[in-house]
Amino acid sequence: MKRRTILAGGLVAAATAFAGGVAFFHSGDRARRDGAALLGTVLPDLDGHDQALAQWHGKVLVVNFWATWCAPCREEMPQFVAAQAARGAKSVQFVGIAVDQADKVREFAKQIGLNYPALIGGFGAIELSKSLGNDLGALPFTVVIDRQGRVAERHLGPLVQPGLDRMLDRLLKQA
Amino acid sequence: MKATLPTAAAAALAGLLALPAAAQFPSTQPTLLPPDQAFRLSARALDASTVEVRFDVADGYYLYRDRLAFRVAPVAAGRVDLPPGKLKHDAFFGDVETYRGAVVLRVPLVGAAKPGEKLTLHADSQGCADVGVCYPPNPQQLQVSVPATGTRPGDFVEAAKPRGWFN
Repeated sequence: MKRRTILAGGLVAAATAFAGGVAFFHSGDRARRDGAALLGTVLPDLDGHDQALAQWHGKVLVVNFWATWCAPCREEMPQFVAAQAARGAKSVQFVGIAVDQADKVREFAKQIGLNYPALIGGFGAIELSKSLGNDLGALPFTVVIDRQGRVAERHLGPLVQPGLDRMLDRLLKQA
Repeated sequence: MKATLPTAAAAALAGLLALPAAAQFPSTQPTLLPPDQAFRLSARALDASTVEVRFDVADGYYLYRDRLAFRVAPVAAGRVDLPPGKLKHDAFFGDVETYRGAVVLRVPLVGAAKPGEKLTLHADSQGCADVGVCYPPNPQQLQVSVPATGTRPGDFVEAAKPRGWFN
């Protein structure tokens, strides 16, 4: 269901881009549409309970696509744990979408004291990330949604400090 | 002083991977190779009982040894003797072995294939790039022909196909 919606969105986007041409193409539209697509995603958490990303709409939402088989992903995550702890959950929310199996994710989450939701996306999450601009489907891939629900950042590869803090500060200053 | 180098490296990495928000879409990708080009697979049948498989791993990329898996049809493949890789310590998985450059493997066939027979090789692999990204497991397949009795094995057959605009 979800994937079909995203796919349809992608096709409409492609058609719009071709029909309208570059001159009429507004990146703001895409930021809004992709933000809505991601916020409309529902995935199970480690307990098997469905979690809608929409529950975090209104916060600066950092959605990190990762996997235990991706060493650079595992290496960047303690940084997210620290940032989540430092900022609390009032205005910033990190969410991990794992291209992985729940048991592996559970083990790693325990190891690093994961303090934000880990959702299980399986390999379908690769397709979701591709629809958000991750053409090669490589990991880690991080999408940041601003408080208005627009995609503010798309980033392939590890996010590094102080860039992460700077970006969060900037997005938190926006209304 | 000591902290300067990692910081500079991190900054360089950030510069390489992060693109200005406005320029990110639709061409969002840093200069990374598609997996089929980063890990080029080719193979040939040496004789009726062996398929030789080759990965040419591009500079700056590596494959995980224990993530390689091979199947052959219609003649089944036996156990592949994988050469030792370069040891890399992984905090989660322990010591893992990686391959770089050219990797040549022999896949033994269980029960001989017929001369001239076409065999399909299925290869699963997974690797990463040094810039700090990993590719999902990559299933590839290609066809090789068993050489006629008494003839030399043919050339390697490439798996990766040139990519068009929409694939």
